[in-house]
Amino acid sequence: MGFLTPVLLGGAALIAVPILLHLVMRRQPRRLDFPALRFVQQRRRSNQRRMQLRHWLLLALRCALIAGLAFALARPTLKGTGLRGKEGAPLAVAVVVDNSLRMQLVSGNQTRLEQAREAAGRFISQLPEGSKVAVVDRSGASSGFAVDTATARSRADNLLLESAPRPLDEAVIEAIDLLAQQPDHRQELFLFSDLTTASLGPDALTAIAESLESHKEVRLYIADVGVDQPINAAITRVEVPKKRLRQGEPLRVEASVELTGLAETQVVELFVRSEAGDEVKRGQRFAEAAADGTALVKFEVADLPLGTHQGHVALSSSDPLAFDNRRSFTVEVTPPTRVLLLGQSTDDTLFLSEALSPSFLNNEAGAFRCTSKTFAQLTDEALQGQPLTEFDAVCLLDPPPLEDRLWQALVDAADEGLGVGIFLGHRARPSAFAESLPQQLLPGPLARRSRDSTHLRPRNLDHPATVGLKNYAEDIPWQVYPVLTHWQFEELAGDAFVVARYANRSPAIVERPVGRGRLITITTPVSDPLEPEGREPWNLLPTGPEPWPFVALSRQLVGYLAQRGEEQLNLRPGETATIRLPGGSELSSFVFQPPDGLPLRRTLPPGADSIQVGSTRALGNYRVVAGGRSGELDRGFSVNAAPELSRLERIDGKTLTAALPADRVRVAREFNDVQKYVDVGRTGRELFPWAISLVAMVWCAEGLLSNRFYRGGE
Amino acid sequence: MATVEKYLKPEVIRQISRLDLRAQFIVKGFLQGLHASPFHGFSVEFSEHRKYSTGDDPKDIDWLVYAKTDKYYVKKFEAETNITGYLVMDLSGSMGYSHEQELTKFEYSICLAAALCYLMIHQNDPVGLVTFGEKILDVLPPKSKRQQIGNILSILANLRPNKQTDIAHSLDQLAAMLRHSSLVMVFSDLLAEPDEVIAALRRLRHGGHDVILFHVLDHAEVEFPFDGLVELRDPESDQSLEVDADGYRTDYLEAIADFRRTYEKECRQSRIDYVPLDTSMQFDRALTEYLANRHNWG
Repeated sequence: MGFLTPVLLGGAALIAVPILLHLVMRRQPRRLDFPALRFVQQRRRSNQRRMQLRHWLLLALRCALIAGLAFALARPTLKGTGLRGKEGAPLAVAVVVDNSLRMQLVSGNQTRLEQAREAAGRFISQLPEGSKVAVVDRSGASSGFAVDTATARSRADNLLLESAPRPLDEAVIEAIDLLAQQPDHRQELFLFSDLTTASLGPDALTAIAESLESHKEVRLYIADVGVDQPINAAITRVEVPKKRLRQGEPLRVEASVELTGLAETQVVELFVRSEAGDEVKRGQRFAEAAADGTALVKFEVADLPLGTHQGHVALSSSDPLAFDNRRSFTVEVTPPTRVLLLGQSTDDTLFLSEALSPSFLNNEAGAFRCTSKTFAQLTDEALQGQPLTEFDAVCLLDPPPLEDRLWQALVDAADEGLGVGIFLGHRARPSAFAESLPQQLLPGPLARRSRDSTHLRPRNLDHPATVGLKNYAEDIPWQVYPVLTHWQFEELAGDAFVVARYANRSPAIVERPVGRGRLITITTPVSDPLEPEGREPWNLLPTGPEPWPFVALSRQLVGYLAQRGEEQLNLRPGETATIRLPGGSELSSFVFQPPDGLPLRRTLPPGADSIQVGSTRALGNYRVVAGGRSGELDRGFSVNAAPELSRLERIDGKTLTAALPADRVRVAREFNDVQKYVDVGRTGRELFPWAISLVAMVWCAEGLLSNRFYRGGE
Repeated sequence: MATVEKYLKPEVIRQISRLDLRAQFIVKGFLQGLHASPFHGFSVEFSEHRKYSTGDDPKDIDWLVYAKTDKYYVKKFEAETNITGYLVMDLSGSMGYSHEQELTKFEYSICLAAALCYLMIHQNDPVGLVTFGEKILDVLPPKSKRQQIGNILSILANLRPNKQTDIAHSLDQLAAMLRHSSLVMVFSDLLAEPDEVIAALRRLRHGGHDVILFHVLDHAEVEFPFDGLVELRDPESDQSLEVDADGYRTDYLEAIADFRRTYEKECRQSRIDYVPLDTSMQFDRALTEYLANRHNWG
C-alpha cells in the first residue's frame, strides 16, 4: 500500500472536529412540555441505551467520513507487483531496443524491430512531460538522455538494424548505469527484445542481474516482441578453405545451412561475379537437413582467372528472416610468390628451395616461385642497377660479410616493401655485421655462437608468421630436430620482436620492421647439410627425419615475408578491412564500392601503403578499385553477419525470471501488459474509486442517520 | 361571563352563550339522531297512576290498567329526580396542556361538562360541580335550576389547572362527601398511579354511585407526534427527560395503550363507564358515541 499524495493523509487529523463538536457543541434538543412523561420514563432505560448507541454510531460515522476522505484524497495505491519506487518523483526511463539483425524476423507483416520501435515509440509518447528518456540500442553508439520525449521518440523511430551488434547485456548495463546517474528520479528500464538465448544467454543474464543488484533503484521491464514458433532457413556459415588460390586451382566453397521450424529440402545456389560485374550462377545444391536441422553443401568452381573474385551463396526460397539467406565470400587468384634465395653457392639454397617449391612438382603451379642466386651474382646485378623489387621476398642463407652496396640495395628494397629473411650461420662475423648498414637489417649486434644444444620451442604460435602452424602446434616434435649451434645477440634493437625462442630461451626467430617491408632473422641456418665438411652442422632442422616442420615453418615465414595471407578477405560487420597497396604504387585515390550503395571516390594520403575501410556495417561484397583501366588495384572483401544472429531459440520464461531479481523485473508479452505493469509499478493500483465510493456510502449513512436523529431540528 | 367567553370562543363553542347553544346543539343533534327517548337511563322513574284528563299525552295511558278497570289512567312520573349529577373536574397542571390543539384538556373537559350539565338541567336533574387538585377544592351544590349552568361555567372559566394532583385522595374525599346515590362524572387525564385511582373509583362505585369516567388526553399524548431529539418536561413534577422521539414512539404508544386498557378493564369490572377521549375528537361525536353505547347497555 502506498499513497500518491501522502501529505493529504494529514487531513485525517480533522477527525478531531466531529469529536470536539460531539463533546463540546452537542446539539440541544427541542424542549417540550409533556405531562405524560411517566409513560416515557417507563421505557427510559432501554431507549437511553439505544440513543447513546446511535450517538456514538453517528460520531463514528462522521469520523470515518473524514478519515475516509483524507484516505481517498491521498490517493492510495495497492502495490500489486511488489515493485516499489519513489512515488511522485520524476521519471528517468531508459528504453533499450534490441536492434540486432535477428530482429529482422517478420511476423504479422512486421519485423520484430518495427514492432519494438512502434511499442517503444508509443510508450515514450505516453510518458509524462519532463521525464528523462534515453534510448539505447545495440549499435554501441554512446547515448545519453534525450533533450525531451519527442527527441527520444524520434530516436526510437529511427533505429535501424545493426549488423554488428554489441552484446545485449552490454546495452542493458549501459542503460542501468545511465539510470543510476539520476538518483533523484524513479529509474525504470524498458527492454524491448525478442528474448532469444543467443542475446540473453546465462552469462548475459548473470551480468544484468549483477548490475541490477548493484543499482537497487532500477526496475527492469522486459517487453517480449519475439515470435514463439519462428520459421527460418539460414546459411550460417560460408567457408572458403583457401582464400588465395593459385591460378588453375579450383575454388571450393562450403556452406552450412540451418533450418528452424522447417523440414523442407532447401535449394542452395552459388553465384560468382563475372568480370562484367554480373552475378553468375555457378552451382546449385539441395540441402537436406539432418536430425539437428543442419546441412552442409559444397561447391567447386574451376577456371577462375587471376584477380579478386567475389560471390555469394544464397537460398532460393524466402523466409521470415531475410538477412541470413545469403552469405558472401571473396577469394583471390594470385600468381606464385616470387622468392629470391641467396647463398654462398646455390647448394645453400637447396633445402629452402625444395621446401618452398618442391622440384617434384611443377614449379609453375606452386605457391612460391624460387630463384636461387649467389651473393656474388647479386652484387654484380646490384652494380648494374637491377632492382630487387621484382621479388616479393629475399632470403639470405648463411650470409658472409657482404659489400655495403648489397646491404644498401637490401635496405632500399625492404623500405619499398620487400621481405627479407636472414638465416645466420657459420659465415657470419660479429665485427662485420656490427657495421651500420647490416645493423639496419639485423635485430642487433651478434654476441657469440652458442653451442648449447637445444631445439626450437615456440611458446605460442599467434604471430602471423607462425599462426598457420597453430592448429597442429601440439603435434610438432621440435625436439627431434636439435639445434646444436646458434647465434646470440648482444642486445636486441628496440623495435625487434622475438617471434620464437629455443628451449634455452635464446631468441630463435626475431622480427624487425623496415620501411614497408618485413625482416626476419633466424639465428641458425637452414642450409647446413647433415655432415658439412670440416665442421659440425648447426642444426638438423632440414636434415632430420621427415623434416615436415621445417617445410611448414619455412613456407609460413617466407609467406609472411612476402606479405601473403595478411589481409582478411572475409570480415564481420564493423571490422576494419585493410587492403595493402602493391609496392611502389603511387595511388592518390581509389573508388570504394559498398554492397548497398553507389561507388564512392576516396583520396589516399601520400605515402600510404594500405587502404583502411572502416565502414563495413552493410552485409555483402565490397570492392576497392583504383588505377583506371590499367587495373592497378582491383581488390575486394566480404562482410557477413555472425552466425549466432540466425539463432532464434527463445529463452525459457522460467529461466529468465529465475536469473533476474524477481521483485524488480517484470516480463510482458503485449504492449498493454507493459502499460499495465508500468502503471501499477509506477503508481500502484489506484484505490481512489473504491475509497471515494466508500466515503460516499459513509456519507449517505451519516446523512440518513443524522437526518433521522435531528429531524425537525431548530 | 367575560372570562367564560374568553376561553370558549370563537364560532361554535367559544362564547358562553354559544356554549349553551353548543350544548343544546350537541344534545339536539343527539336527539335528532335517536328518535326514541334517550332518557330512560337517567331519572325517569314511575311514581303513581292518576286519571286521564284531556291534554295528557295519550302515550302515557297505562293500557294494562285500562284492560283491568276499563278506565283511563295515566302513569304519573316523579317530578323530582332522585339522580343527582356531579361534574368532577381535575385541576391538575397537566390538564392545562395542549400540543397543537385548539383546546387544552381542561377546556375540552369544560365543554363536555357544559354539554352534560345542559343535558341534565334540561331534565330537571340537579347538577353540582366538584373540582379537585390534591384534595377537593371547590364544591358547587347540585341544583336543577337553569342558571346552574351559568354558575358552573363561570366557576370553571375562572379556574386554572395548575395544581398538583392526588386523584385517589380526592375521589375518596368525594365518596365520603356524597350522601345519596349520585351520578359522578369525572373529567381527568388520570396521570397518576392507576392502582390507587382505580381503588378510589371502586370505592366510589361501591358507595352506590353511578360513575362515568371521562379520560381526557391531549392528542399528542395519544399519538406521540414528536420526532428527533426532544427534551420532555412534566409541568407538574418539573421533571425532564431527553429522548429520541422516533425511537420512543412505539414504546410510548404501547405504554399509553396499556394504561388505557388497564382502566377500561378495571372500569368494566366495576361497572364504571370509562370514556377514553382525546382533544382532537369532536364533542358531539364523542358524546353521541358514549351516550349511544350507554343506551345500548341500558
